[in-house]
This record gives sequence, structure tokens and C-alpha cells, in this order.
Amino acid sequence: MGWWTGFLEQPSRTWIAIAAVLLTLCIGEFDYATGTLVSLSAFYLLPVSLAAWFVGAGFGLLIAALCVAVWVAGSMISGDASFGGPLLIAWNGTVQFTSFVVVVFVLVKLRRLNRELESRVNERAAALTREIAERERLQHLVLEASEQEQRRIGQDLHDGLGQHLAGTAIAGQVLREKLERRGLQEAADAKKVVELIEEGVSLTRRSVKGLHPVDLNAEGLMLALEEFAATTSRLFDVKCRFVCESPVLIHSAANAEHLFRIAQEATRNAVQHGGAANIVIELNTLEEGYELRIEDDGIGVPRIPPSTGGMGLRIMAHRARMIGAGFHAARRAAGGTEIVCRLPVAIEDRLAS
Amino acid sequence: MNKRISRVFLVDDHPLVREWLTNLLNQLVDLRVCGEAAGAGKALDGIRATQPDIAIIDLALPEGSGLALIKSIKAEMPGTAIVVLSMHDERFYAERAFRAGARGYVMKGESTSSIAAAIREVLGGRLYLSPRMQAAFAERFADGDLSSLHAPAKKLSDREIEVFRLLGQGYETRRVAQSLNVSIKTVQAYCARIKEKLQLANASELLREAIRWSDAQSAG
Repeated sequence: MGWWTGFLEQPSRTWIAIAAVLLTLCIGEFDYATGTLVSLSAFYLLPVSLAAWFVGAGFGLLIAALCVAVWVAGSMISGDASFGGPLLIAWNGTVQFTSFVVVVFVLVKLRRLNRELESRVNERAAALTREIAERERLQHLVLEASEQEQRRIGQDLHDGLGQHLAGTAIAGQVLREKLERRGLQEAADAKKVVELIEEGVSLTRRSVKGLHPVDLNAEGLMLALEEFAATTSRLFDVKCRFVCESPVLIHSAANAEHLFRIAQEATRNAVQHGGAANIVIELNTLEEGYELRIEDDGIGVPRIPPSTGGMGLRIMAHRARMIGAGFHAARRAAGGTEIVCRLPVAIEDRLAS
Repeated sequence: MNKRISRVFLVDDHPLVREWLTNLLNQLVDLRVCGEAAGAGKALDGIRATQPDIAIIDLALPEGSGLALIKSIKAEMPGTAIVVLSMHDERFYAERAFRAGARGYVMKGESTSSIAAAIREVLGGRLYLSPRMQAAFAERFADGDLSSLHAPAKKLSDREIEVFRLLGQGYETRRVAQSLNVSIKTVQAYCARIKEKLQLANASELLREAIRWSDAQSAG
């Protein structure tokens, strides 16, 4: 079985050559047996074509010559009248041979064109694959760069502006106490200034949370999701719960951040487009890795994804791909949407060790 | 009026904060800044040299961490009280700071007017926490959470204790499963039972509780 299918897929040249010779002899024998009245000369095209297509021009011509020889010999032995004299033999043989030569030439040419076309298609396909890979790499870099920039801005806000404002608040407090000691009314204004600066610190903290939501330690994702669920419940008219059965430690900050953004996007979709009343964000450990699952009881994802828009889903899928995680979004049987992202353990462990 | 002046050492990597904190404390009659440092190493040297009554410490330091510094001070100079003044969220860090040996926690830029009060409270031998954290701690105490610090051993089965202990050592679910030679599902079932018995809301609380218990075990 094996050799046979192998033969069909990629016939070996030796086998084709042997087959062509045998076929020629068989047709010659058959031609001889059927006598002179039935012309079988067209059947010789089969071995000639096989030889020319699969083996090459030279062997094609050789088989063509063999065919002519067999045909002439058969006709002469069976006493065909048209092979009366050497001149007639030479003439008929030459005509037949010429027609075979034309066939061989055409087939060889066709074969070469075919091969060229094939290799060009392969080249294009390879180029396209390379281009797609390159584009994905670039997208990855762009997203990574923008997130890195966000982290950097967040860090700067936290360590720079936040600390500066905190120092300024202390300076304001110094002024306030001085004014109070002198019994001046302006102390109340100074107090107000301190409070305003403190509001500035709290605004800075909030911006930092938005830019850089996941704390840089392994339990950061659990804490961030817990806080995010609480904030979502408080700010919107939904019940958002974070469920985590046993500790999930994500050691790569990039992985943690992508998973958090996926949860954030899924929750935002559920609130803004899905009209959900309940959202559950789960973080699970599976035998083969980690699972982030966001379920809601809203209207569910559209059955046919919109051709325009639907960027949220696409970005989530893209984020999942970037960290080597599986992603799927579907309607739940009970109604609503489920979004599942699975991070294989090998990817996370490589970074942990 | 012969009130004793307490000496304060400042550890913060932000010069502006150090400068104005010095101004703020020095204008009070009972406090005097005796030294300051920007990093953990210099801080320890400075505190050894000046032997202050109290140290004000930021958790985020350029070299070394504030928590480690607190532990070192506690070990070397138990007489020096410690108050944390940090940008870090007190909900996540106050407890760790207290476990490391701090006696007060003030969030930078949140209650500037209570910095002096916090220092005085701690110098007076009391703890200082923001009203919000006091409420949170009180609530947990009322729920029996704090009192259960040493109780897990009584409430949990041997196998559950084993899981709890490994979690407290920073093992996560997969490694707990590997080292106990059971499936992840089994570990999750244990975790669910532990959470129920200790009344913990979710895995991050379970992890924090396990770490706290493990610390308490190794401390005593």
C-alpha cells in the first residue's frame, strides 16, 4: 500500500521508464495481433507521453523511436501491404516519428512551464507567510511598546509627580502650622491648599492605576482583578464578582498585564454592549495551564461577528495570541457571553524558573 | 516644661519630601530630625550612628526594600520605633509593614496633617493606622479573622494544613499539587475547604492568610 500511494504521489523515474518500455512492447504485440486493418498507432502516444512528461525529452525521443520500430516491425511481420518497399517503410516511419517528436516537444515544454508556475506559487506563498509573520511581529512590538510606554508613564507619575505633590503637601502643612501658631486666619486657606494638593495625589494614584493596573509581583493579577471587580460593581449598575479557587501566581508581568486587559475589555463589553447584570471573572488553574474566564448574563456576542467594529474581541484575541494563549468567545447556553483565555503552563513556567 | 525631645530619622528617596518633612517636624517642640538617608544601606548606617527614637521609612527605596530595612532595624535596634510613610496603598501594604515591625502607617499625600500625630502615637507606645484601616482591621477582628491567626492548625485537617503551609511558603497551586503528588483538582478542593473553614473570600485572601500564618509560625 505504502509504495503504491508513494508511487502515485511522486512516481519514480525508473518505474516510469520501465513502464513506458513495457507499455510500448504490449501495444506492439496487440497491434500485431489485431492485424493490419485496425490501426492502433495513436496508442503509442501513451508511452511516449509518459516518458516525455515524467522522465525527460531524451527518453521521450528514445521511446518514440522504439514505438516506431515496434510498429514497423509488427506491420512488416504481419505482411501489411503499405510496407511494400524500404522507401515506403522509411516514409511512414518518419512521419510517425515526427508526430511523436512534436508531442514530446510540446509535453516537455508544458512540463517546464508547469514546474515554473508551481515554484513561483510556492515562492509567493512563502513570501506571504513571511510577511504575515513580520506583520504580527510588528503588531506585537507596537502593542508592547505602547504598553511599556504606559508602564513608564505610570511609574513616572507614581515616583515623580506623586512624590513631588506629596512633598508639596507637606510644605503646605508646614505653612499652615506656622500661620496657625501666629493665630492668622490664612491658616484655613493653607489647610484648603493642602487638601487640594492631596486631591492631586489621589488623582495621580488613579491615573497610575489606569496606566499600570497590575502590581509587579506574582500575585499582582489576583489582587488587580479583585480590585477591578469591586470597582466595576461600584461604578456601574452590575454585580461583578472575582472568583479564584486556589492561588494563581503569574510570574511574567507582561502575561499578567495582557490577561488583566482581556478581563477589562470583556467586562467593558459586557457592561456597555451586552447589557449584563452579573459578571463573573474567574482565574483557574488547570492541568495544562491557567484559565481566565469572563462570563456574563447579557445579550451574548453577535452570532455573526460584525465586519466593522468588534475591535474589542479582535484585540482580546490578539493579546491572547501575543502571550501564546488560546482564546475563544461564545454565547453561553444559559444566555450571555463567555470569554475564555487559556495560558499553557509551559509558557508561564519558562518565565517562572 | 521639661518635655523630652524625641529624635527622628528620615528615610525617603525623594529630596523634596525629606526637606519639608524636616521643616515640618523641626518646627514642633517635641520632635527633632537627627538624620536622613535616601537608600536602605545608608539608612541602616545612619540609624546605627544616631540611635533615633523613631524612624520614618518609605517602602519604595532605590537600593533594597523598605520592608527589609524595617526588619533589619527591628532586629538590630528594637528600641527604635518605626512609622511607614509611603505612596503604596495601605490596604495591601499596611499589614505587611506591621508584620515586619512598623508601628504606624501613613499614606503619602493622603493625610499630611496626621503625620505628626502618627509619630506621637507611636512614640507613646501605641499603634497608628488611618481611620479607614482601623475600621477594616476592626471588622476583620469582629469576623474572627485576626483571632484565627493561630487557629488554622485546630480548624484544618492534616492534609489541609499541609496545603496551607505550602501556600504560605509561596508555592502556588501547581507546585502544591506536584509536591503532594495529587492532582490540581484535589488541591483546589482542599483550597475551597480551607477558604470555607477560615471564612476567606477568595484565593488572594487565602494566600495572604497562609503567608501570614507561615510567618507567624516561623516567628514563634
